[in-house]
Amino acid sequence: MTATTERKLDPITFEVLRRAFEYAPERMSQVLQKASFSPIIYDMVDYSNAIFDPDVELIGQTANCPVHIAAMHFSARASLARYPLDTLGPDDVIVLNDPYQGGTHTPDVTMTLPVFHDGELLAIAVSRAHWTDIGGNLDTHIAGEGLRLPPLLLYKDGQLNTELVEIIKNSTRTPQYVEGDIQAQLGALRAARDELQRIATKYGPETVKQGMTEVLDYTQRMTAAAISRIPDGVYEAEDYVDSDGFSDDPVTVRVKLTVAGDRIEVDLSGSDPATVGPINSPYANTASAIYYSLKFFLNPDAPPNAGLYRQIDLKIPEGTWLNPKWPSPTFGCTTAASSKITGAIWLALAKAIPDQVIAPGCSECNWFVATAADPATGEISVVSDLPAGGWGGTPFGDGMHVTMDPLGNCQNLPAETAELLFPVRYNSYEMITDSAGPGRHRGGCGVRLEVEFLGRGQIVTMETSRTREGSPGVNGGARASRQKQLRKRPGDDALETVGGLAEDGTWLPQMLGNVTFKPGEAFVFESGGGGGWGDPFERDPRLVAADVRNEIVSRERAAEAYGVVLTDALEVDEAATARRRAA
Amino acid sequence: MLQVGVDVGGTFTDLFAWDPQAGLVRQAKVLSTPADPSVGFMEAIEAAAIDPAQIATVIHGTTIGTNALIERRYPEPALITTQGFRDVLEIGRQRRKHLYDPYQRKVAPLIERSRRFTVTEKLGADGATVTPLDRDEARRVAEEIAALGVSNVAIAFINAYQDGRHEREMRDILLEVIPDAHVALSSETRPKMRELGRFVTTAIRAALLPVVGDYLERVEAKLREAGTNAPLYIVKSNGGMMSAATARERPEELIESGPAGGVAAGSYLSSLMDASDLIITDVGGTSFEASLLEDGTGLVTDEYEIEWERPVITPMLDIRSIGAGGGSIAWIDDGGSLRVGPQSAGADPGPACYGRGGTQPTVTDANLVLGRIDPTLGGKLTLDVDAAAEAIRTVAEPLGLSVLDCAEGITRIVSENMAVAIRMVSTDRGRDPRDHTLVAFGGAGGLHAYEIARSVGIDRVLVPPYAGVACAFGATTMDVRHDLERTFYSPLAETDADALNDAFAGLEADVRALLSADDVSGADVVLERSAQMRYVGQSYEVTTPVPDGRLEAADVEALAGAFNAVHEREYGVASSDFPVAFVTLRVTGIGRTHKPRPDELAAALGTHAAGDSIKERRRAYFGGSHHDVEVHDVTRLVADQEIPGPAIIEQADGVIVVPPGSIARADRFDNVMLEAVA
Repeated sequence: MTATTERKLDPITFEVLRRAFEYAPERMSQVLQKASFSPIIYDMVDYSNAIFDPDVELIGQTANCPVHIAAMHFSARASLARYPLDTLGPDDVIVLNDPYQGGTHTPDVTMTLPVFHDGELLAIAVSRAHWTDIGGNLDTHIAGEGLRLPPLLLYKDGQLNTELVEIIKNSTRTPQYVEGDIQAQLGALRAARDELQRIATKYGPETVKQGMTEVLDYTQRMTAAAISRIPDGVYEAEDYVDSDGFSDDPVTVRVKLTVAGDRIEVDLSGSDPATVGPINSPYANTASAIYYSLKFFLNPDAPPNAGLYRQIDLKIPEGTWLNPKWPSPTFGCTTAASSKITGAIWLALAKAIPDQVIAPGCSECNWFVATAADPATGEISVVSDLPAGGWGGTPFGDGMHVTMDPLGNCQNLPAETAELLFPVRYNSYEMITDSAGPGRHRGGCGVRLEVEFLGRGQIVTMETSRTREGSPGVNGGARASRQKQLRKRPGDDALETVGGLAEDGTWLPQMLGNVTFKPGEAFVFESGGGGGWGDPFERDPRLVAADVRNEIVSRERAAEAYGVVLTDALEVDEAATARRRAA
Repeated sequence: MLQVGVDVGGTFTDLFAWDPQAGLVRQAKVLSTPADPSVGFMEAIEAAAIDPAQIATVIHGTTIGTNALIERRYPEPALITTQGFRDVLEIGRQRRKHLYDPYQRKVAPLIERSRRFTVTEKLGADGATVTPLDRDEARRVAEEIAALGVSNVAIAFINAYQDGRHEREMRDILLEVIPDAHVALSSETRPKMRELGRFVTTAIRAALLPVVGDYLERVEAKLREAGTNAPLYIVKSNGGMMSAATARERPEELIESGPAGGVAAGSYLSSLMDASDLIITDVGGTSFEASLLEDGTGLVTDEYEIEWERPVITPMLDIRSIGAGGGSIAWIDDGGSLRVGPQSAGADPGPACYGRGGTQPTVTDANLVLGRIDPTLGGKLTLDVDAAAEAIRTVAEPLGLSVLDCAEGITRIVSENMAVAIRMVSTDRGRDPRDHTLVAFGGAGGLHAYEIARSVGIDRVLVPPYAGVACAFGATTMDVRHDLERTFYSPLAETDADALNDAFAGLEADVRALLSADDVSGADVVLERSAQMRYVGQSYEVTTPVPDGRLEAADVEALAGAFNAVHEREYGVASSDFPVAFVTLRVTGIGRTHKPRPDELAAALGTHAAGDSIKERRRAYFGGSHHDVEVHDVTRLVADQEIPGPAIIEQADGVIVVPPGSIARADRFDNVMLEAVA
């Protein structure tokens, strides 16, 4: 067992503080969500909030975006390297988003506030939110990805740096959200301060700091115990992004997990070099993706804090697409890169703990930003959404339908909100028959989204993958459906492929940039299902019949993939099924 | 004549009745009869020795709707929706409940996919026709539903909050095919924007129409059989009541019917106490509930979810529940920390001290070991103190704690957990809990009340004598109440005052009609207007009060200031720089009822002679050591009597712990107030 510091708090006080460290970030997120002005924050919940101890170790974080789990740590450290704590006052807030100075991709804007109690540093509050737009497009140079803020003082002694705000507003397609989002993130930081000061007043700041030390050890112990239960060994697997958007070639992540006692080493050597297109993942993002992907199987209940990092060793060679150097573009890192790191790690774990692992899900977040012109006035709206896919089958049951990728936990845009606020029509948000990967426990279904533009429209950016083939199954489970990016013209049933692999085998880059739509045309996106778990021929035929009645699985697919033959009344034909499964 | 409140909960059916003229109060607590709750209902009336002929009104709180939904015990409806949107009920918001649990599954949809049908039709967000309803397809769908033998149907179309004409057209076709169908339309159920909440609420109405209809029919028949024609009212989730006839039509409005009675009890209590800002708590075996009263009125929320991503969008009292109660189990997690709950020993096997096979330590075991509860429960049951101590030892030893210190730690941790629910209804909504008096309901409410209160900085705790039947008591003090709403999306600057006045006038006429149908006379009607408003671009609204009477353009403009004030309180930020929009208009119609006067209550409850209230002395453990404490009988306390802690006060169905450093004071209503020693 790894040595940890001495436990000084009585178990009761520890437990009370452990809960308080959970509550403070929860409170931050409530304030942020409710006070925000950007749909991507208030509807899609693309943000995270965290508290750090005076040594800038993550103490607690909200249940919003796992992909931020370690990234905020790098942001807080970069902020405080630029503005040392002894120079900061209790109403100073630092902002940053530069991927090469503590950020990951440009839209994620992080704010940091030191929290004092009776003049002594008690903690650091950090709020990270994905802003709707920070300028930029898909590009081959980081400078093309929008405004990059190095760590800068946004508030000094409570006074807003209005010059900086003017620059930000000048650099975005949605200046109307900027002040509201700043105010909402400030509200979140203040909520953390109130909560931390409350417990410091009640228990004393030294006790609270001791609680922080011990809660890190606590998570470390829980993580170590979970790793000890995985058989020692070396486990390797790989996954890939369809392309970087600028070439036709897949980009591969290769992972080697070495489990030894209560430690894991994650080695990404052998992964592809940095790419020209914007899927590169800065070290902070790659580390986050590794931590959260493992956390699903390493005591998920342990508080998400820096204690998790201590049992995991990382080898991420510089110059690969998973640890790129300036000026590689990084726009797609939180989605395209993170979800493939998860895929590779789970496939490697399938060799170590096959009875515990689940199959990869759709493995994409499918986030797009569109502009839509009002047909009467020409006024431009920015519409953003992220249609989820299915989750993979598990040892205990089927995967979830249409659920956000492990990297986040974002809501989709309600059709009625979209139609009220923007010149678009949502014509479909419905599960796709036969999209789920067959298995003894099948994956969940993907979804079909159809957005019709009333005036001229444009997909400004879309990050996705899995258009070449669907997500893999594990333990004999089959692949799910692949994803599709399509155009629908009025009065024409034929759909045109605008990205990814077309039916005729032609290839178009799946990272969309500036794809235009005429009035009345619709962008159609089909997300993938989750991979299957276990041999589909071992699936209970009654469950297959129920899936057919619910049109999750077609009758034809039931026969082909599951070997289950149904009668016209959609009941199991036992004899025919037995014959088919034996053949 | 008696006002009778009956609250049917999962375990117990509670009754409180009073006749102010006769100075008579009756209480009863009987076991619930889940197979047919109307049986327990009548048993409670018998147990209270009530002559049915003497009943003036019956007000009934029931969990029948909630239980039917959670346990999926309802005739499964069909859903008809717009093409492309078959799965709104199942996809929800596409979020997962547990961030890192790889094996989680979502709750089953309220209506299974094979019963969800789509038709070709579409209205735009402005209510204009995009695609007319395909009537042939509609008829085919109706026939398919008929072939399934389904007769309760939800019709929920995209954008129907703007206009229900396509939904009504679909209903007409359906009724041609299935003439006796129960049909719920989303445009009638709750015409509010955002499809998920409206679809779920409509599906719930369709699911519950037969369930609630049948149940109320049985209750009414039994009351008639017993010899009373007294009108039956049902407790609503918004904190008021409605007639049984209206409840049959609007069954989705009784989802939080049970706990709402407790909030009404708090409102009445506040009128007695001259303390209008209260936090109401209720401790049960498995859950702890909290709600907040401001100026004697319960806060309402529009964000209630009955299950993960299943929002019910009727206005509901903001009652937050967490899994912490007497049955909560103490355990040590993988990281070596002492945890309490959310797992509960429930009623079976129950706490270790019940001697029914439970071996895991619970909060009740801790209270028993500490000497805070009577090991004979007033002679009703014998609790096994040794078994409780043995169970606690299993967690105390690994932590290096004595059994008693561990037991006290368990009560402290569970109190801190309960305090989270208090923060949810106060701090999380911009209210400072320290400005409130904590009121403890539930038999175990008084056990932890003081400790919970101190943990959130509250220094006044009140435990009323009817704490054990508070919801039934509260039901007898309720007003009739209806909240009607419609979407009215309009930025303030662009709002046509005439259109706004017309919209409010329409809602007011509808609310008056509902009140009148519930036998409220015009003189007793009070109408309140409010609007759910937001900054343009936001998606969350806050409820802003709107003045009565005709609104002129200047009144509309002035609402921005009112909105900013509410926003500042709820979320801590506001800005007059941002434009504000209406989203939903609401009219609350209240039909005032006659409530007993405080002197009548005091006459019925509090008249006993001064005398020795001490029942016995007991050894109890507080703050790390044993104390020899007095145990008082609440019914023998006289007004203004003071009892310094540590002490214990026993009620008919409950216990009040007076910890060291606090003092208890009784009043003429048998209320016990706990405060810190000055």
